[in-house]
Amino acid sequence: MHRSFLQKLSHFGMAFLLLLSISGCHFGADNEYRDRTHLSQNSAITTITLSGWQSNPNESKILAAALDRFEQKYPEIRVKYEVINSQYMDVIKTRLIGEVAPDVFYLDALEAPLLMKYRVLEPLDAYITPDFNLADFNSALLQAFQYHNQLYGLPKDFSTLALFYNKKAFATAGIEPPPQTWQALQTVSQKLTRDRNQDGKIDQYGLGFAPELARQTFMIRAFGGQLINTQGCAAFANPAGLKGLQAVVDQYRRDRTAAQASDVGATWGSEMLGQEKAAMVIEGPWSIPYLKETFPEIEFATAEVPTIGEKKGTMAYTVAYVMNRQCQHKAAAWKLIAYLTGTDGMKAIATQGLTLPARKSVLAELGYENHPIYAAFVKGAHYATIWQAGEYLPTISAHFNNQFLSALFGEQSLETAMKKAQETANQEIYLSN
Amino acid sequence: MPRIWQRQRSQEALSGYFFMLPALFILSVFLVLPILSALILAFCKVQLLGEVRYQFTGIKNLLRMIADERVWIALKNTAEYVAIVVPIQTILALGLALILNTNIRGKKGFRIIFFMPTVTSSAVLTLIFMWIYNSDGLLNHILSFFNLPTYNWLGDPAIALKGIMLMNIWSTAPFFMVIYLAALQEIPASLYEAAQIDGANRWEQFFYITLPSLSPVTFFVIVMGIIGTFQLFDQSYIFSGGSGGPNNSTLTLVLLIYNYAFSNLDMGYALALTLMLAVVIMTVTLLQRTFFREEQVH
Amino acid sequence: MTKNSQSNTFLYGLLILYSGVTVIPFLWALSASFKPLAEIASGSIHFIPQQFTFANYQYIFTQEPLFMRWFFNSAVVAIGVTLFNLLFNSMAGYALARIRFPGNQFWFFLIVAVLVVPGQITLLPKFLILKSLGWLNSYAGLIVPSLVNATFIFMMRQFFINFPKELEEAAALDGLSRLETFFKIVLPLAKPALAAQTIFIFMGSWNEFLMPLVVMSDPEMFTLPLGLNAFKGQYISYWNYIMAASMIFTLPALAIYAFFNRYFIQGIAFSGGK
Repeated sequence: MHRSFLQKLSHFGMAFLLLLSISGCHFGADNEYRDRTHLSQNSAITTITLSGWQSNPNESKILAAALDRFEQKYPEIRVKYEVINSQYMDVIKTRLIGEVAPDVFYLDALEAPLLMKYRVLEPLDAYITPDFNLADFNSALLQAFQYHNQLYGLPKDFSTLALFYNKKAFATAGIEPPPQTWQALQTVSQKLTRDRNQDGKIDQYGLGFAPELARQTFMIRAFGGQLINTQGCAAFANPAGLKGLQAVVDQYRRDRTAAQASDVGATWGSEMLGQEKAAMVIEGPWSIPYLKETFPEIEFATAEVPTIGEKKGTMAYTVAYVMNRQCQHKAAAWKLIAYLTGTDGMKAIATQGLTLPARKSVLAELGYENHPIYAAFVKGAHYATIWQAGEYLPTISAHFNNQFLSALFGEQSLETAMKKAQETANQEIYLSN
Repeated sequence: MPRIWQRQRSQEALSGYFFMLPALFILSVFLVLPILSALILAFCKVQLLGEVRYQFTGIKNLLRMIADERVWIALKNTAEYVAIVVPIQTILALGLALILNTNIRGKKGFRIIFFMPTVTSSAVLTLIFMWIYNSDGLLNHILSFFNLPTYNWLGDPAIALKGIMLMNIWSTAPFFMVIYLAALQEIPASLYEAAQIDGANRWEQFFYITLPSLSPVTFFVIVMGIIGTFQLFDQSYIFSGGSGGPNNSTLTLVLLIYNYAFSNLDMGYALALTLMLAVVIMTVTLLQRTFFREEQVH
Repeated sequence: MTKNSQSNTFLYGLLILYSGVTVIPFLWALSASFKPLAEIASGSIHFIPQQFTFANYQYIFTQEPLFMRWFFNSAVVAIGVTLFNLLFNSMAGYALARIRFPGNQFWFFLIVAVLVVPGQITLLPKFLILKSLGWLNSYAGLIVPSLVNATFIFMMRQFFINFPKELEEAAALDGLSRLETFFKIVLPLAKPALAAQTIFIFMGSWNEFLMPLVVMSDPEMFTLPLGLNAFKGQYISYWNYIMAASMIFTLPALAIYAFFNRYFIQGIAFSGGK
């Protein structure tokens, strides 16, 4: 009996040795890799690591193709691309602390102020040449990566939000054209909210929405509210700031014509639209390839986000390539950034249609302004609120999301909830300093 | 101690330290040193990003803790969790152990099946349960089949923690069941025989022999359950995507510590929280040890 | 007699019911891993896939090139940690139990003292120490801090204290040194204790989530639980892939469990009874 255990254990040991010998191959590969970098010192081949996230597998294929072309153009540079898909910013910050951060990485505008303040990013102004044509970039996007008159990141792309709607559902309910104002949106939502099989459970909601500050900031601004004050502290809990949000809460609680993804067993807005659990959602261009691939039978169209408070409004999100200040091969890293944000690199990546290119010339060349589906997103760029608000936004956002949800579930009134969100966020900001 | 070896005292000392060396080295670098540095850094403001800076701030971190609403929410969640999970999983474990302790056939097979959740990674279990808890998922289908109310298990702040509780009862009860089973087998059969002679029925035997004999184990199981609850992290992290949401309803102390350390980069405050957690757990453990000893004396 | 069989039926009913509760989540996950996404998205609740497919598994291995790497990382870390723990914990436990050396009592006291300190407290300082050693993002960063385990040193000491001395006496008379005695005589007889350790340490390491989350930030260095979590982040609504990946991850642990299950139960009883 006992012998059999030892035998088992020795089998285990054998298996481990076997694994180690396989790992020998792995380490061998690593050594080879190191040799290559070592070699690089002689024949000047440098390896640049690039980290980012990907929202679908296709995205990294297209990026990989672009990186191949980059390596062909600059044979002395190799790019090692790593995908980080969970808690991206926590990972990047941890790696920056541990001094094992990638040379070049994606940075969301949201998190840019913090990293720029702590001086862990390389300022890029000195690298930019006139023929890079910085003026071609959308200036609002560039601004998101400027700090004390220095530029720390070059926007790779941007996205705005627009209204997606299910054409068939609209036709069935006799709605034409899509709602232009928020009142109209609420009215059509009632027509679109349906219990198809009469079991007392709603199968299709009018609107699918995400109760997150990242999606709702423009609602705060719709009636003149402000997200933060000049010190960067939360300042949205006042009547002007709450009026827009109240409309969202009312539609959810009073009208019951809107749903969050988790209410209907979906994980995000476009999945609700695809599964016909919501007839309208407010989402970004990344939903377009997703809907086409995952739900090819759904006929959808887009329109600008309905006006609220007689003003147009939507959100814009932007992500930049930034360079690690501790990067060992800054010249090569810059070449990579310049290639990927140059006209050709940007065009190659933008053609997949997940996001919009940050260069005006590329945006014009791809014809998105007149595209039936993409036009709404391009128009949105003129009046969108960029998702960025000082270095404390992640904190403010976390508190807002928590309290807004509790208002949606009726645990407290919107006013109480938002006052609490503002107080707790500001208290945390105060205490952390 | 063999005499031959005893004679060579210096040799003995040398081989003693040779045997202890790996353990001493690792424990001092990765256990004693971290504990000491935690004790110091908990009273500092630590900046790690960019320039590394330490600044002694006295008890500021402790004061912050008292004013920090999320700390109280995490403690409240933990208390709720202890109040619901620990009794249920203890009773369930005892019940299963009692059944498996009878002369029933095939109990080995049942034991193997019951034990499966305990050996499965919490990461996997959490994913499986998220899939089952989906509003349109298996659990809601089963509930509606029996005409019971269905819930938004993942999104509703009032329900999300219950979902994690249910999963944890399911996965840890079998572990405690085995501990009970071992303890049950150690109760001398003579006790039952004597009771039978005295005319005690099964219930009387259970209440006057089984339960008192198991009380030290029960105490152990309860304390382990409480400590496990304080250390809850994986499930909440995966469930909420790291945020402890919806609306802080799945926030636990360890998750809060992780968030302060790696999202807010507030290492000093995170360590102060860790210290508080350590004090709580150590108190519970010491209580258990003292009680446990007393029980054994009786 | 009839009363007895009645109550037996009742007990069987309970056992089968609870077995169902235990097994159904696994079966449901297994079944999802063989369904195409369309069937999952349609919200049907068939345990037997309507359109049975291996495509999900195939997809994971072809489209997620790092999957094998994660598997490999987990195996290296778990097996490495287990083997070293078996050796080092037993050595330390033996020394504390049997060898008289200056400081013996002190070290024993220290080990009992650190047993009371919960692991979380060391997490952040460990991160800082690994950072200064330059071991973040490396196997060493995950393996070295867990090479020994105070709980099992304690357990091994208790085990060796009750170990018959006569064997060692005989070995000493045969002229064997401490070292030889330990490896040739003592260790082979410590199998039940080693078995319990093997299982707990392997399972603990294989399933560990928090420490790898902190130490490993490069996707190539992820262990499977982290990889699984990252996978979930990427394929957020692709439950077919997530479940297939979960199943692959669970199999080795279940296999070890099936392999060692008797020792497992003993080990738990041991840890509970101490």
